[in-house]
Amino acid sequence: MARWRWLEQVTDQEQLLRLKLLGTVPLFAGLSRRQLGKLLVKFFEKEYLPGETIFMEGEPGKALFIIIAGTVSICRDLNEGEELLATLTTGGYFGELALIDDQPRFASARAAEASRLLILYRSDFEDLMEGQRTLAIQVMGNLLKTLAGYVRRAQSQRNGRNSMIVGQPPATDKPGMASKSVTRD
Amino acid sequence: MPPPSIIWALVVAFAALIVYLSSDFVLLLLLSATVAYLINPIVKIAESAIIKRRVAVAVIYLGIGVVFVITAYFVFPRLRAEVNTLSSNLPFFSQRFDEAVDALQNEIVANYPAADSLFTTREVRYEKLNNFIEQQVADLPALLSHLATIVLAGVLIPFFSYFFLRDSRRIVQFVLDRLPANHIETSVAVWCEIDRSVGRYLRGLAIEGIVVGAAAALGLAILGVNYPLLLGVVTGLANVVPYLGPIIGGAAAILVTLVQFKSLSVIAQVVFLYLSLKLLDLLAIQPLAVGKGNDLHPVLLIASVIVGEHALGIVGMIIAVPTITILQRIAKLLLERRRYPTYVLDSRLNSDVQLQTYVC
Repeated sequence: MARWRWLEQVTDQEQLLRLKLLGTVPLFAGLSRRQLGKLLVKFFEKEYLPGETIFMEGEPGKALFIIIAGTVSICRDLNEGEELLATLTTGGYFGELALIDDQPRFASARAAEASRLLILYRSDFEDLMEGQRTLAIQVMGNLLKTLAGYVRRAQSQRNGRNSMIVGQPPATDKPGMASKSVTRD
Repeated sequence: MPPPSIIWALVVAFAALIVYLSSDFVLLLLLSATVAYLINPIVKIAESAIIKRRVAVAVIYLGIGVVFVITAYFVFPRLRAEVNTLSSNLPFFSQRFDEAVDALQNEIVANYPAADSLFTTREVRYEKLNNFIEQQVADLPALLSHLATIVLAGVLIPFFSYFFLRDSRRIVQFVLDRLPANHIETSVAVWCEIDRSVGRYLRGLAIEGIVVGAAAALGLAILGVNYPLLLGVVTGLANVVPYLGPIIGGAAAILVTLVQFKSLSVIAQVVFLYLSLKLLDLLAIQPLAVGKGNDLHPVLLIASVIVGEHALGIVGMIIAVPTITILQRIAKLLLERRRYPTYVLDSRLNSDVQLQTYVC
């Protein structure tokens, strides 16, 4: 009992909750608790008010965002208005392509309500990858699987089919993603 | 209410005035921030194990204190003995230096008679040396007034660096919460780049200094040169000054060797030792310790060091490289937006996503 009390005094409970949330993000699936801890210290945290823009379409991408609390809308500008691509809630993530390169964002992200986000910058991510090969392989593998999923979904939408490839179950929504179509930002 | 730009300009002007009026205190804060920077990676390792930051910082400082006490117990007595020996020999320094130069001169002229015309007479040399020593003695009161600052710094630097380390996350969060949302991605990306390159540079410099200083002390002890520990400390500390640092360290060792041995062959061995250390530093220590810390062009690197020296002397030379690295990173990131052609933005006209028609 005394041992647990001592552990509670030393352990950062808020960081522990964030660590558990990070473990549920599909991008970081398969990482050990130690690896997640190393990743967690690289994140920044920022609060956004309702309606605040997180990033605009066309801006160079620099960071990945993970939603701790709140809701974020991913939109694309059209000549006649705006197209809502996805609405993400707690546990959802977006902007993952910024971890690969700094090409312009394909969509804008806006806080639909008061939201708290964890932000991982590409330079910090690259720094971590340099020293952690297994972590790099695991995260990049998860990223590739995510991108492959986007491409297949976009292909099936383009071809007008709902069920995609023989042997593959239809894509189900993961926790935190209210709906997610093609978001290559 | 004046516009935000005027408020920011006033804040910057006020900060510049404070820096100008209290440059010693600002230097103290900078040194404390540097110490905090050096220790930060250890704190991050503890944080990655979900340990509270303030607990991690307290334990790390305790550990550093223990290491310092152990080092002081074993190393300081020897270092103190060397300093005492040096200070007791100092009054005879000019005479012994004169004898050493005479002996060296005679050795060179014996082997190369034509070199006799290159050397000055003993009287001229003695007069120049005495003038130099008198000038240093005249500067002594100013040096002593700085000594009090140095002693105070030894207490204040650990104090300030402890609080910088403990509260750095809160400070960063405070700034982040006040940054406008639409500027945050670029601003923090700039900060991350700076943090990465400056952090690597400072940590690399510290590791380099320790390794080079230890290797110099060992090499000089093997050669039988007096005060190897003291010279090792001087070499390690001087190593932080770009380009000039190795020369300062080497010159101090050569001076001691000259007075002790009065022989060209031993001086040559010391020169060879320091050249080998520099080569080892360039080929092995720097790539491992600093890595890809900065990608500055060599011309830009040297120019920044020269400008730094003109602006702030030795301190300017030390901070020149991280300063120019920061400016380069900021310029690179801010100019990124202009890199991309407009056809990417024009893709808004088509709502279809342009993809390959077939992917396995």
